[in-house]
Amino acid sequence: MTERHRLLLFLAGACGLAVLYLAGIRNLPPWGQYRGPYGDVIAQLAVFQRHATDTVNAITYDYRGFDTLGEEFILFSAVTGVMLLLRPEDGQTSRAGGEKNPASFRDRAALSETVQVLASGVFGFSVLFGVYIGTHGQLTPGGGFQGGVIIAAAPMLLYIAENTEAFRRIVSHPVTEALEAAGAAAYALIGLAALACGAPFLTNVLPLGRTGDVLSSGTIALISACVGVEVAAAFLLLIWEYLREILARAGNAEA
Amino acid sequence: MPSPALLVAIPLTVAALLSGLRRLLPRRCADLLSILTALGNLVLASLWTLHALHRTQAYWFGNWYPRGSMVLGIGFVMGPAGCGLATLAALLTTLALLYSWRDLDSGGGHYHPLMLIFLAAMSGFVLTADLFNLFVFFELMSVAAFALCGLKTREPAPLAGAFNFAVTNTVAAFLVLTGIALLYAVTGALNLAQIGQELGGRHDRLVLAAFTFLITGFLVKAAAFPFHFWLPDAHAVAPTPVCVLFSGIMVQLGLFGAMRVSATIFHGSLAPTGLHDLFVVSGAVTAVWGAMMCFAEHHLKRLLAFSTVSHTGLMTLAFGLGVRNGLTGLFLYLTGHALVKAGLFFAAGILLHRFRSVSEPALHGRGKILPWTCMLWFLGGLGLAGAPAFLLASGEARITGAAPWAETVFLLAGVVTGAAVLRAGLRIFLGLGDAGPVDRSSQVDELPETTDAAHTIHWHLYLPACICMGGAVVLSFWAAFTNGVFSASRGFLDFPAYAHVVYSGAILLPQRIAPSFSHTAPLLQALVRALLALGLAFWAVVHLRLPRWLRWPSHLEGSMRPIRALQSGHPGDYVAWLTVGCATVGAAAFWLVR
Amino acid sequence: MLAHYPYFIAAWVFLCGLYGIVRSRHLVHTVISLAILQTSTYILLLAIGFRKGGYAPIFADIHPGVVTVDPVVQALMLTDVVVEATVVALLLAMVVKAYEKGGTTSPDDLRYMRG
Repeated sequence: MTERHRLLLFLAGACGLAVLYLAGIRNLPPWGQYRGPYGDVIAQLAVFQRHATDTVNAITYDYRGFDTLGEEFILFSAVTGVMLLLRPEDGQTSRAGGEKNPASFRDRAALSETVQVLASGVFGFSVLFGVYIGTHGQLTPGGGFQGGVIIAAAPMLLYIAENTEAFRRIVSHPVTEALEAAGAAAYALIGLAALACGAPFLTNVLPLGRTGDVLSSGTIALISACVGVEVAAAFLLLIWEYLREILARAGNAEA
Repeated sequence: MPSPALLVAIPLTVAALLSGLRRLLPRRCADLLSILTALGNLVLASLWTLHALHRTQAYWFGNWYPRGSMVLGIGFVMGPAGCGLATLAALLTTLALLYSWRDLDSGGGHYHPLMLIFLAAMSGFVLTADLFNLFVFFELMSVAAFALCGLKTREPAPLAGAFNFAVTNTVAAFLVLTGIALLYAVTGALNLAQIGQELGGRHDRLVLAAFTFLITGFLVKAAAFPFHFWLPDAHAVAPTPVCVLFSGIMVQLGLFGAMRVSATIFHGSLAPTGLHDLFVVSGAVTAVWGAMMCFAEHHLKRLLAFSTVSHTGLMTLAFGLGVRNGLTGLFLYLTGHALVKAGLFFAAGILLHRFRSVSEPALHGRGKILPWTCMLWFLGGLGLAGAPAFLLASGEARITGAAPWAETVFLLAGVVTGAAVLRAGLRIFLGLGDAGPVDRSSQVDELPETTDAAHTIHWHLYLPACICMGGAVVLSFWAAFTNGVFSASRGFLDFPAYAHVVYSGAILLPQRIAPSFSHTAPLLQALVRALLALGLAFWAVVHLRLPRWLRWPSHLEGSMRPIRALQSGHPGDYVAWLTVGCATVGAAAFWLVR
Repeated sequence: MLAHYPYFIAAWVFLCGLYGIVRSRHLVHTVISLAILQTSTYILLLAIGFRKGGYAPIFADIHPGVVTVDPVVQALMLTDVVVEATVVALLLAMVVKAYEKGGTTSPDDLRYMRG
């Protein structure tokens, strides 16, 4: 189909779709007047039933924890898919990520010392902040996903600070892949542990502790930590797969 | 009874394990572990199906059973239809993993985890009673499928197919999510039974908009016209066992999603208002379109993919008719199609493994040395046409028993798709006639997917295909199976019973016997279909040797060209068609309930 | 009418995303348009859950029983974001590989699947 025909076809469809969407919107309750009982019921119950002050995470890891298990494995499958797509083909193994560091050509570019010092300095703080966010999910906004992403961003600071050898050692180590798999499996295993205790899958069987403590709300904190490990490792793997692919070609172009 | 959560949790855990240990585990170990896991799912799902046939119960994750009329958590409703489909999914996955034993290129050990995740997602999708959970498993199924399409990446063509697949299905998923958001806004609930009760028989603009978005999203997965363009592209590039799962169960699960949502959330507005006619029309159009495109194809996997489009269209038609007349025929047809299509894909995989090609012209006459594969292929072709003694024919008999006009659509689709398969069989395995036209799509070179240099066909390549074909024949004669399917289909459309299970925990189902009917008329029709398909196949193969007045009309090929050109391979085209299709579904929905 | 304006924004963003995919001449542009389409669902979900004068549903510093906004849609949106990020990552990997193998990033040049 030519571009023009495609555009005309789309516009015809989009007009109909817009009319449909707008007709549906007209019957929604006005904005700012959320009516439904589900959210209110849980907002009132979560603190008493689960000793978790962050209701959103109580929903994510407890009330609707099964959804989050599926979501975590969506991340897992996507990272596996990226590793599958960008896998080194026969004859490429030694070139990319093996002995030679494909990012090493970056070390030849001159970079301001301020950037180097700042980036290296902030690295430790980033990791600490990520751990803080990840472990306080049941109390304040945060949790495993958010903390994991912050931790995964920390090695990028090393890359920016030109410490590419350290960067490569962190992200391409087989332990990263093992941690990702362990984090994913741990979520399912925590659910299975509930089965072993005679309760349905993913029931919160750990002691709930005192509201407001870090070690409270039972499995919510534990699942959040496992998810944090998995997400951090998954994003590190993603970053490494992309960088290895692109840098290998750039390194070859420069050499 | 073991917990139904194991159907999802065990494959996911083993997948994570296999992925983490992929560098350490030998190939045979990974194969064995994954086959055992799928087999475990098969056994567990079968046990639950038998249990569900006399007692349907609910299972609440996190022990969040409903409080009063408020559903707090996510639940599974272990009904016979859902458990039966979970069994089918596990069976096909086991056979696909058996087929991949040792020889299939596992992409560095990533193949097995992805197949197990795919199985877990399908199992969760058919059993869940929560709308957002349905979306999550829909996405998990899709992402695992996109990832599996990435196994063959040495040529740009597979990537184009995978990209089109991913873009189209992701747009569909977010259409579904939009529908979910609209429903949540007015009902404040995410459980299917609760939303269904809140809505009642309401069919105002918002409900129709949500209906359109949800149904469109699921019909994209089900490859209905005009949302089907992604299917042949994906099939042409995915490895054989993955194609088996796509055509055998994944596409039909898209239809199942639409069915589940219609039977629960929209139960009040479906049958009373004539909204089910939407499925009838969509199904009929898809069936005819798919059959036409199927016959014009000469790339074996794309040919089979278009036949999947056509047969799933027939199933959509069956659902539309079955809202008033019962779904027994639909579920029988679904099972039969899954088994026959899987067998055909396995046979195509054997051809690919042995000859490194799935192009009909390139394989002309070369299949003479494979008698078993020849037999499997011809059985499959006859089965698709709706020959007697295959499950598809029994299903069709029950569907069209109540609506004779649908017989014509079934006849057309069955004969044309069966003839396409038989024509390919006559050319490849018997070497009859000419080699057939060489067109662009048949030249999409199918990359080898197996690593066995000697191309020997081991037993593990034949066994899955034989089990499939044998199963389709055996099940059509097994009365207990038909009775079970009848019970399952009665329960599926019974919304009060579903709501009762959700709020009270369980319900006992009475034992039912499927109504019997005269077999002679359907048997005759099935024989006629089989003969017509064979006849059409012969004609297509030898027509150039016949006198001029008996030949294939020469302008037919030319007139098919613009229709085939619509399958352009450009993602923008596919999404434009999706938009138009969505708007049409919306317009049809509004018009049908006026 | 004005009371529904965030929903109109969600609808508009959805259509923009679709337009971007249809008119795209570069595969990365297609993927980003898909991401934009996905953000429309965030807007819709969060707008549905909003309550004027409601506090955030974090009871670390407020008393349970105070009127809050809906926490369920926020949890749904979290799931939604993860799904979007992962699908975009997978699609971009396909684009990178397609460029490496085919030397082009235009959808027009990748029409190997023409029927």
